[in-house]
Amino acid sequence: MEKVTLTVNGFTQSVLVESHETILDTLRNRLNLTGTKKCCDEGTCGSCTILMDGKPVLGCLTPTLRCVGKEILTIEGISSGESLHLVQKHLVKSLGLQCGFCTPGVVMTAIPFLEENPHASRNEIKESLSGNLCRCTGYKKIIDAVENAAEEMRS
Amino acid sequence: MEYYHSPDSIKDALSMAREFDGNFIYFAGGTDVQIYRKQKLEKNEHIIDLKSIHDLNSISIKDEVLSLGAMTPLDDIIKSKEILKFFPVLVEAAKSVATPVIRKTATIGGNLLVRNRCTFYNQSQEWRNGVGSCLRDVGDICQVTGGKNDCFSRNVSDTAAALIALNAEITLINSNGMTQKPIKDIYLPCGIKFHDLDNEIILTQIRVPFSPKKWWYKKLRMRKTLDFTSLTIAATIDNQDIARICLNGVSMTPILIEEPIETLTLESLIKQARKNCKTVDNDLMPLKYRREMINVYLEEFWNSIYI
Ligand SMILES: Cc1cc2nc3c(=O)[nH]c(=O)nc-3n(C[C@H](O)[C@H](O)[C@H](O)COP(=O)(O)OP(=O)(O)OC[C@H]3O[C@@H](n4cnc5c(N)ncnc54)[C@H](O)[C@@H]3O)c2cc1C
Ligand code: SF4
Ligand code: FES
Ligand code: FES
Repeated sequence: MEKVTLTVNGFTQSVLVESHETILDTLRNRLNLTGTKKCCDEGTCGSCTILMDGKPVLGCLTPTLRCVGKEILTIEGISSGESLHLVQKHLVKSLGLQCGFCTPGVVMTAIPFLEENPHASRNEIKESLSGNLCRCTGYKKIIDAVENAAEEMRS
Repeated sequence: MEYYHSPDSIKDALSMAREFDGNFIYFAGGTDVQIYRKQKLEKNEHIIDLKSIHDLNSISIKDEVLSLGAMTPLDDIIKSKEILKFFPVLVEAAKSVATPVIRKTATIGGNLLVRNRCTFYNQSQEWRNGVGSCLRDVGDICQVTGGKNDCFSRNVSDTAAALIALNAEITLINSNGMTQKPIKDIYLPCGIKFHDLDNEIILTQIRVPFSPKKWWYKKLRMRKTLDFTSLTIAATIDNQDIARICLNGVSMTPILIEEPIETLTLESLIKQARKNCKTVDNDLMPLKYRREMINVYLEEFWNSIYI
């Protein structure tokens, strides 16, 4: 085991980890941040997406030791108190989630995408979320929600 | 036990590689390596992460010659306006790999060395135990052909097809020094040992020598995203009217057909492609369909030349 210092959602803490461990397992099993979901555990579903220095990465493929010295942001760090981020708000409003398992990954993919591409078209939004599998909604309502969030973010 | 190392120079990475004597794996984006580790198909103890070696992540274009650091993420290639201007076939290929989020981590060097795939091999350990293992794992027959000697798993690198069609070269470094090779020459016609690089070698640079006057690219897969290729074809025509057509996903190596456009005919192109591709039934798409699609794509390419 190795002792590492991680900065997650603005808090810096030391934690003992295995040297091959992924940040997904560290977040869920050692830091009790279970908002980030473990679904396929092999890069195909997007539900484990988190931000590393503002860039989306798949938690299930990222070694924890690669996260040392980086700012990690998870779904738990997105809303400010009771008020949801616009992407979250519109997912709720447009019924963009049912079981909710894919939702943290969708939010963590959509936010940096919209920040970088505030004028993205519907097709570009679709493409940006093409690595986020959802077995419930049929996708249309997720795309609607992200499109609506983009519109409100611009106004 | 497993150990993670993050050297900050090529020299340190090579000396670690020597110290671990084969019991290591280089880790670039890790988007291929990690899956093999999880599926217990890659068991070496030491991970040597190349991420902290800064000079491996770079893009530069001078006189229409492109130099790319091996650790350049595919997403940076897609976003480069200059690469799009001079080498659009490479951008199309990079765009067709995996998903937008994976492409932010996945590197061009890692994509060139992505391991060959087969429906009977790229599965969980439980799945593999269920069907019986194969030559490439711990078994003694090929589950596809029943043979005892050859593995036909497919090279699936999309950017290899584009870079070979662009006649690109790579720079390789090991403790004996630096060498340069055409990319097409590193691949071997074997599903298990699919390239001839010794395991200490670090791929450092990719050089694309010319901007083609025409290009064509298409990838066949189940979904428009996420899926590995069932057939990728990248083609270019240079200023001397040499056509380079590279097929991948249908054989153990990328297959290159290189000929002056003046002497090439569609019939001979299809004939050479079908003869050289050792396509077997080891993909989700049916074999007959994949073979037919070789003809369909080559015909589409051929028709595009005269537009
Ligand atoms: C869901 C999913 C979908 C995917 N779809 C595709 C696809 O459509 N097409 C495709 O081609 N791939 C696909 N991949 C595989 C992979 O994401 C890409 O091939 C990617 O480009 C690999 O790059 P990497 O940097 O992550 O490589 P890594 O996984 O880090 O490395 C791959 C191999 O190259 C070696 N290596 C890497 N860099 C160097 C170097 N500089 N010197 C020496 N050795 C090196 C490693 O040791 C390893 O053996 C997919 C993966 C996933 C999880
Ligand atoms: S082609 Fe045969 S030997 Fe090779 S991975 Fe597939 S089943 Fe195994
Ligand atoms: S759990 Fe990481 S991509 Fe599915
Ligand atoms: S809401 Fe259930 S998987 Fe997306």
